[in-house]
Amino acid sequence: MKRILFLIAAFVLALGILLPARPAAAADPAAVITSLGNEALKVLGKNVDPDVRVARFRQLFQQNFNVPGIARFVLGRYWRLATPTQQQEFIRFFTDYIALVYANQLAEYNGETLRVTGTRPAPDGALVSSEIIRTDGKPPARVDWLLTPQSGGYKISDVIVEGISMAVTQRSEFASVIQRDGGQVQGLITALRQKTESTGAH
Amino acid sequence: MRERLTTIRHLRLVSANLVIVLTAIVSGCASHPQSQQPGVAAEEDFHDPLENVNRKIFDFNQVVDRHVLVPAAKAYRAALPERVRDSVHDFLNNLQEPLIFANATLQGRFDYARDSAVRFVLNSTVGVGGLVDVVGRWGGIPYRENDLGITFGVWGIPEGPYLVIPVLGPSDPRDISGLAIEAFGDPWNRIVSGQPWNYYWIPYVRGAVSGIDQRSRYLETLADIERTSLDYYATIRSLYRQRRAALVRGEHGNLPPNPGFTQNVPAAPASSVASTRSPDVVSALQDGAGVSGQ
Repeated sequence: MKRILFLIAAFVLALGILLPARPAAAADPAAVITSLGNEALKVLGKNVDPDVRVARFRQLFQQNFNVPGIARFVLGRYWRLATPTQQQEFIRFFTDYIALVYANQLAEYNGETLRVTGTRPAPDGALVSSEIIRTDGKPPARVDWLLTPQSGGYKISDVIVEGISMAVTQRSEFASVIQRDGGQVQGLITALRQKTESTGAH
Repeated sequence: MRERLTTIRHLRLVSANLVIVLTAIVSGCASHPQSQQPGVAAEEDFHDPLENVNRKIFDFNQVVDRHVLVPAAKAYRAALPERVRDSVHDFLNNLQEPLIFANATLQGRFDYARDSAVRFVLNSTVGVGGLVDVVGRWGGIPYRENDLGITFGVWGIPEGPYLVIPVLGPSDPRDISGLAIEAFGDPWNRIVSGQPWNYYWIPYVRGAVSGIDQRSRYLETLADIERTSLDYYATIRSLYRQRRAALVRGEHGNLPPNPGFTQNVPAAPASSVASTRSPDVVSALQDGAGVSGQ
């Protein structure tokens, strides 16, 4: 009897470890953003240790974002010039870099909530509009999320803050770095690696 | 009505001339570097033919920022409590409302013009001369920035090449002409500069306080972006362009995004990563977003 209970407990535990990565309501884009947004604002807030915040952000990013698609978009025309090894390297350091950049920016948040204001179909996906309600009475910040269907759920392909696309901004910056390095992708990969290694989280 | 049309036509002429002159100057000394070696991709078009000069001015502005603006903004923050600084901010915003009203009207965005008029009247009276943004805080009508550069954009005048202006920062021929005309046409500046008073220093003080107020609001954000950027200049250029484009589209409400660089997206290579279509999605969005004028 004890043995059976133990087995059941082990099974439940194993389930608990395997399952949480699945989004709760994958069918509804608005629900995806509501749950992710509020989770992010909660676990990445002000009183979190910077290193922990970066690690948590990295995990949320990999679970909920269309990372390979974003990586390919931000590399633009240079994606095709990169070797498969460089592409994989780029995805890896790009993920580190995004975690570093945006985890830091979220550090300012403290008690804010996210409210979804609407969803509209986008070609090949959905665009979810939301507001981040601030605690200090300042007008809410507008954030739009571009979602693409993927493996039964939705993954985020772009975040647009007050009309500014994060993907487009990164793409423009990366293109500039590559061009200034004579059109070589390797220069960007090295720069990303150095940035993530040298810039600690504060 | 007739007067308005004449004004529009006049403004349009003035701006068109300015743009033409500036564009001529700019393209005259622009040399487009073409480094076409085999195996090296064609360059991304940043619409920044003066990049070399712009980067030098940008560096100069960074020095000014580090040694003048940031210390001033920090001192301002340390010296005054937040409530006072908010009042200064609200007061400066309220001074902008007449021009915002004019621009919203010139753009045909009459709901924004009405909002601006309501804000100006109530904030100037109930809000003690604009010191408290009562309408924004309790009336649910937020401050919406607007200017002549945006109006030119709404009229279809292209932004032109990217420019970095000494001290003032990112701009383009369209926005800098708008700024120049507004400085001249600002009603408060006129009132204190000879009609009827002669306090010529006031516009400068207003400009300086306004700059310090703005800078003090972005101390952390800009420091963060600079620290984490691989190419700060390129990041600011992209942010500026996208923000201005959003304002021209009238994106104060929740309208679809319209990213700028997607025209240059190559067809998605059929290789490796499956079912990732974000470039196509974004450019498709852009096609759909052409009619976004609220």
